[in-house]
Amino acid sequence: MHFKNFDRTLFFATLAILLIGLLTLYSASREYHSQDIVFRQVFWIIFGIVVLFAILRVDYQRIASLSYIFYGATLLFLVMVLFSGRAKGGAHRWISLGFFNLQPSELAKITLILALSSYASVRRSDVTKISFFCKAFLLAIPAFLLILIEPDLGTALLLIPVTLAMLYMAGVNVMHILGVMLLGLASFPVFWHFLKGYQRQRLFVFINPNIDPLGSGYTIIQSKIAVGSGGIFGKGWLAGTQNQLNFLPERHTDFIFSVVGEEWGFVGALVLILLYALIVYRGIKIIETTPDTCGKLIATGLVTLFTLQVLINIGMTIGFLPVVGLTLPLISYGGSSLITTLLCIGLLLNIGMRRPLF
Amino acid sequence: MRTKVFAFIAFFFFGILIFGLFYTQALKYEYYKGLSERNRIRVIPLEAPRGKIYDRSGRLLVSNRIAFDVEVIFQEIKDENKTVDLLSGILAIDRRALEKKIDAARKRPFAPAKIAKDIEKEKAIRVEEISLDLPGVIVTTRPLRNYLYKNSLSHVTGYIGKISEPELAKYKVYGYRMQDFVGKDGIERAFNDYLRGVDGGLQVEVDSRGRQINILAIKEARQGRNLYLTIDIELQEFCHELLKEKTGAIVVMDPSTGAILALVSQPDFDPNAFVSPQRSGEVSRLLNDSGSFPMINRAISGTYPPGSVFKIAVFAAALDTGKFNDTKTFFCDGSHRVGNRVFHCWKEEGHGAQNVRNGIKNSCNVFFYQLGLFLGVDEISKYAFKMGLGRPAGIDLPGEVSGLVPTPSWKRRKLKQSWFKGETANYAIGQGYLLVTPLQIVRFLGAIASGGNLPQPYVVERIEDIKSRRTEAEDTGIRHKVLEALKVGLGDVINAKGGTGYYARSKEVIIAGKTGTAQNPHGDSHAWFAGFAPIDDPRICVVVFIEQGGKGGLAPARSAKKIIEETKKLGLL
Repeated sequence: MHFKNFDRTLFFATLAILLIGLLTLYSASREYHSQDIVFRQVFWIIFGIVVLFAILRVDYQRIASLSYIFYGATLLFLVMVLFSGRAKGGAHRWISLGFFNLQPSELAKITLILALSSYASVRRSDVTKISFFCKAFLLAIPAFLLILIEPDLGTALLLIPVTLAMLYMAGVNVMHILGVMLLGLASFPVFWHFLKGYQRQRLFVFINPNIDPLGSGYTIIQSKIAVGSGGIFGKGWLAGTQNQLNFLPERHTDFIFSVVGEEWGFVGALVLILLYALIVYRGIKIIETTPDTCGKLIATGLVTLFTLQVLINIGMTIGFLPVVGLTLPLISYGGSSLITTLLCIGLLLNIGMRRPLF
Repeated sequence: MRTKVFAFIAFFFFGILIFGLFYTQALKYEYYKGLSERNRIRVIPLEAPRGKIYDRSGRLLVSNRIAFDVEVIFQEIKDENKTVDLLSGILAIDRRALEKKIDAARKRPFAPAKIAKDIEKEKAIRVEEISLDLPGVIVTTRPLRNYLYKNSLSHVTGYIGKISEPELAKYKVYGYRMQDFVGKDGIERAFNDYLRGVDGGLQVEVDSRGRQINILAIKEARQGRNLYLTIDIELQEFCHELLKEKTGAIVVMDPSTGAILALVSQPDFDPNAFVSPQRSGEVSRLLNDSGSFPMINRAISGTYPPGSVFKIAVFAAALDTGKFNDTKTFFCDGSHRVGNRVFHCWKEEGHGAQNVRNGIKNSCNVFFYQLGLFLGVDEISKYAFKMGLGRPAGIDLPGEVSGLVPTPSWKRRKLKQSWFKGETANYAIGQGYLLVTPLQIVRFLGAIASGGNLPQPYVVERIEDIKSRRTEAEDTGIRHKVLEALKVGLGDVINAKGGTGYYARSKEVIIAGKTGTAQNPHGDSHAWFAGFAPIDDPRICVVVFIEQGGKGGLAPARSAKKIIEETKKLGLL
């Protein structure tokens, strides 16, 4: 173990965010949810940190060498979840493992990154060829489609920029990437056709929340009011009226940032975002300094994933982006999301620790 | 280089996000602060009425009436004592109970809390009058389901009830809320998605005292879609009356289309009880009555041995396979021996030599024992299945069951025993393992009446102006000649001298049919009559089934005749 190269900054930024998360969760859940929520979250955090350190002990190259197996198993889970998954909110996303509901789509994010990285590092001599590009996409498509039909639109769409960012960093022709983006835009009408009613509704509501002020628009309107009314310094911890008077739906999960914004204001939100940015910054440093292609690509995938989740989640709470059902990493309540995120950070630290010393 | 671009893009978006927050929290602060302070946006739901249900000629069967509720907003109450005094007087509620309810409202002082539901109109008017002096007391209205024909249509319409937790989890994305009502049985359940309206609501801004300042948005409630049934309500009530105090079912169907004209199951219930908060005791009695099971729709969910009605299938199998013809006979001397068991005919002295026509007319058991043994169990089961037994008829009501058409392989699988010959004999007269629903029997008769097509029964004719979805009638493949012979035989049952269905004979119309008396190990025999009319151009199929009703040739046959005569009177024949 090369603990000399352990990125302390990254790790402590993570801990700081977890702490902010717990305080926020306490505030969000104390009135209308059972207090269990905070205790359970603490449990998941401890468990997640154990996972993080466990991951550190294994050389990421060994993990990468098994990536296809992991990816294959994930696809299998994704298929299973369609048939036997526990339906929550009309979507099949969970597999119940007794004490824990496994969400294979969370797993898919990581295993796809691993699989793409090992593919690209093995074939790195072909990297500029179109066939390389197409095959890489073919690798990602099963996971994308399986998650899409669950349906978990947010996670599925997340996989596209992650894949593109990794291919970009692998060195593919930029024109290919631009081509795929154009194709994606052009196929939007077809895609629209396959969206479920409530998903279309969300997009309509994103454009104009007032068309449905009681249903899906309600959350966005209330969330914007919460964040906006927080002002520069916030209403104070446990003193957000939007939060405490139960005006904010889903405020312990997807919309937890609204509570941060309301109670701690712009200053608090800024601190949080800067902590996230710090993690991203340290992540990019790791990408930069890792000479091994595989590690570099894994790190790229993880950093992209993390960045996107943060941006999209916060973006939706202030009405900049449509509501797609993504959690805020390290803060939203929930074991699946928390453990996956900590696992990702563990992997990132792992890559950073094992860069060869010349 | 690429890493730099990557980093640039990532931080660029972080920049946008920070700007977005700054915009929301600093630049628009006053605006959002205003909204949040006066806040407290309150949503007042406007419940959408469910779609109405009409019968085949557009007569209203199920509608909605206005229910008056009394609510209090704790924050606005000035004099709690006076409020309790006046309200308990008008509403005739115990003071203590009322105080408790108002106390519960204290927890969410801005939100209206219901203290009385569905009160009489006169009381509502009096509360409305005094509410001028009693701030914080409001009378609200909401639509409440109203089943105009109460018990007589209960098993067709079904009923509605509060959404259950699993249902809520499943339907939450479709906008269901905790207190919503959903169809729990019958049409209310099967067509819930159509009947259910789209709830509307007011989003209002209220100040810190809970007073409404401003309406932010209104969404009108939209009523659900209206349904038009195939049921004729007069006929339905007539059938309901015939079955009163009994246990059983009646189904009347148009054999050419499968349209159900009447469907009654007894005992029944009043669906209005499920929406009336005062009748919760009655509801729990209904739901927990394990003696008479009033919630079970016996017409589609009850399975029984069909008794002699089943001889029709054996008849059809014998002629259609060509293994038997009208020149052949079996001799009935009152009993028949299979192995060491003796099976009796219902007529002790025997019927003598019987051809198939006489066999069915006399419902001669010995004839059918022999015919059944001659054909074998597999052939009988094949025809039973062809004629719609042993599988759901596919009616558009929930809870239909398949019944059971036994075969030797079924018996080996389920009971781990081989099939005995004696069982074939018993099977041929509709006894033993065979189980059918009254609906299957009416469909079974429908196949004969319609010239070989098994109609798919349905009760919903159209949804607003759109015809409901149905499948085509299924061809049984039974030859015409056989069906004609059957019709003649079934005509004899009622109209020939000595026919067992004598009591169904009508002066007004020629009826064909078959009686059945099914032995019941738990008590008196079940009584069946199934028939159709007019014999030469059947327009109506009827099944009358009475649990432990004794002989099928008596009460059921009489009732079936009355029903058919009634359809004539109503212009349905």
